[in-house]
Amino acid sequence: MYVLRMRDAQYVRRGETIVAPATFDVAPGARVARVCATAGEAQALAMMAAALVKPTSGIVLIGEYDPRVQPVHCKRIAAFVPHDPLPFTEMSVEHFIGYRAALWDIDTERAHAHAQLLLDRLAGLHESFAYPIVASLLASPPLLVLDRPQPLFAKQILAAAGPCAIFSTHLDASAATEFSALREEVRV
Amino acid sequence: MTGRALAAIVTSRLHGERRTTAFACVTAAIVGFIQPHGVTAVADPLTADVATRSVWLAGPIFFCTAIGIALALAQGPGRHPYLDIGERSAPLFGRELARAKAIAPTLTATVAALFYWFAQFLSGFAAPPTFFILALASVLASTLVALNATLRSGGRRLLYVLLAFVTSAIAYVLAVYADSAASRAGDVLGVATELVFCAIVGFIALRQYGEALARSDVVSS
Repeated sequence: MYVLRMRDAQYVRRGETIVAPATFDVAPGARVARVCATAGEAQALAMMAAALVKPTSGIVLIGEYDPRVQPVHCKRIAAFVPHDPLPFTEMSVEHFIGYRAALWDIDTERAHAHAQLLLDRLAGLHESFAYPIVASLLASPPLLVLDRPQPLFAKQILAAAGPCAIFSTHLDASAATEFSALREEVRV
Repeated sequence: MTGRALAAIVTSRLHGERRTTAFACVTAAIVGFIQPHGVTAVADPLTADVATRSVWLAGPIFFCTAIGIALALAQGPGRHPYLDIGERSAPLFGRELARAKAIAPTLTATVAALFYWFAQFLSGFAAPPTFFILALASVLASTLVALNATLRSGGRRLLYVLLAFVTSAIAYVLAVYADSAASRAGDVLGVATELVFCAIVGFIALRQYGEALARSDVVSS
């Protein structure tokens, strides 16, 4: 069983092909990095993998669930981390963690303890990048989807992700390779 | 959807828009306080009834509708990206998310309408509770229609904003004229006509918002 499967999954917007037909699998605990030609392709592919965007054609299965039919099940399996940093000027981290815990129906105390553990592992990352990763991992999802993550912090991100599978999109091969090399290190 | 998740979405949205809410309530109170309430003296009771309704309902319906539309448009993506991405990636169906997201602007619009009514009361021209209910129904229906504009762009966005204003205009005409036309037989029929119209429009708009939210394109690049 795979946590993510794509078969000729394509995303077209107003006649323009954003994501060309993509076919790949992500096994539990595996780390798959994919190099994309444009930022739009990277974002759309990551969002398709996290059930935030439905493919125009082809098949996407997240943990054997089809996001077009069972988006809620898919979102319990795949957690998405956006590329852009999120400004946290309006909400404290305690409030933000409580907010995310409520959305995923996680015990608040447990969520805060888990968040602290993850923040320790993500030491060095700016809070605008760290908090979205922490929030995504609060529910201990089987799959973490990263949209163009910062290669500089790959080691911390992988350490925080732990045993969950990771699918990431990148704009250049060096970033993807760096992630892959580190992944092998982590696996060893 | 759990009550906890619903409360989290509503309170976070209200917290994010607290300054807008305060501004809406203050302006509603000011306009409610200074709104002219005078009606030309007429002998015919039916004409006087229409004149009173048209003057006393115009302010709360049209001004509070404008507030409701502005509050609905403030719920659009981009103003609070951490809330947008949190709600988007949460394990919720589009219709559940739509209901939760619709509560915040409708609640704020209701509070603004209450401020307007209270200001009218303070100025010595308190409208009867029925007027408040008629105005509130129009405001809520228009706010729900305007929420659909947040998921569109360009001409379609403008169209939904116009539809929201048209909704309030129709509700106003029904509240003023259907009520007075029915007053020979009883006011209940006239009030019910406006309320039923607003309920139908609001229901359709909320369903449409849920559908649009589930299908909306969130790829920004």
